[in-house]
Amino acid sequence: MATGNIMGNEEQELVLTRVFDAPRELVFKAWTDPKRVAQWWGPQGFTNPVCELDARPGGAIRIHMRGPDGTVYPMTGVYQEVVEPERLVFTSAALDEKGHPLFEVLTTVTFAEQGAKTKQILRARVIKSTAQAAPYLAGMEAGWTQSLERLSAFVATKSKE
Amino acid sequence: MPEASDHLSATLAALADPTRRAILARLATGQATVTELAAPFAMTMPAVSRHLKVLERAGLITRGREAQWRPCRITAAPLKDVANWVARYQRFWTESLDRLDDYLRDVQKKEKKHGHGKHHGK
Repeated sequence: MATGNIMGNEEQELVLTRVFDAPRELVFKAWTDPKRVAQWWGPQGFTNPVCELDARPGGAIRIHMRGPDGTVYPMTGVYQEVVEPERLVFTSAALDEKGHPLFEVLTTVTFAEQGAKTKQILRARVIKSTAQAAPYLAGMEAGWTQSLERLSAFVATKSKE
Repeated sequence: MPEASDHLSATLAALADPTRRAILARLATGQATVTELAAPFAMTMPAVSRHLKVLERAGLITRGREAQWRPCRITAAPLKDVANWVARYQRFWTESLDRLDDYLRDVQKKEKKHGHGKHHGK
């Protein structure tokens, strides 16, 4: 029964695994110290003129990303869990191109020691943002992404017509 | 609440189900009737119709009114919004984590140079 079932929450995710050649404490600090986060957060060429992180459960996240063309992308979030140095869970608002909140994303990052290295697993899934929102919002598991890649290829050809 | 977000939410909700994604993938190759769409799935026609209704409400498909068998067609626009968002989101994390990797390398190199780092291989 691969099809026809509503998949469980856990499977509806974007999952990114990385192994960093750095001790776990250092990786964790790179995620929770605002000065450090500001140095890597965002795509290539982006800076973070505002980066405020209150890394404790219930603490706020406020980051203003600035793109190479000068456009500022504000982002806000709230920490749900902060377990030093192994686990971070936070919600953040996904914004559209005009800065309107679309829905919330729940991000879980775990850090495991692997000798002198650190294995980091980042999981992100879309969660309900408002009571009026669709009864159940999708996540972004690998299969979903693959379908989307195929579909976006279709879209790309379609939009040229 | 801005209208655009409702559209994207509805699209995402419709895409949350693997059967509906399979239906869309099938329709990406051309229009099909409900019977044709139901064929690969061990599902009743009403069950398939329910999925089609969800897809139709989300604006992902349109159904012909002209014929009794009402062929289904895929609509590209809402998928484009989702694909754009997913692409942006993936790019954000992939590039951020690349930069984190660089940052961790740099910081350790500096620590070593200034000699106030912790012992390596403690």
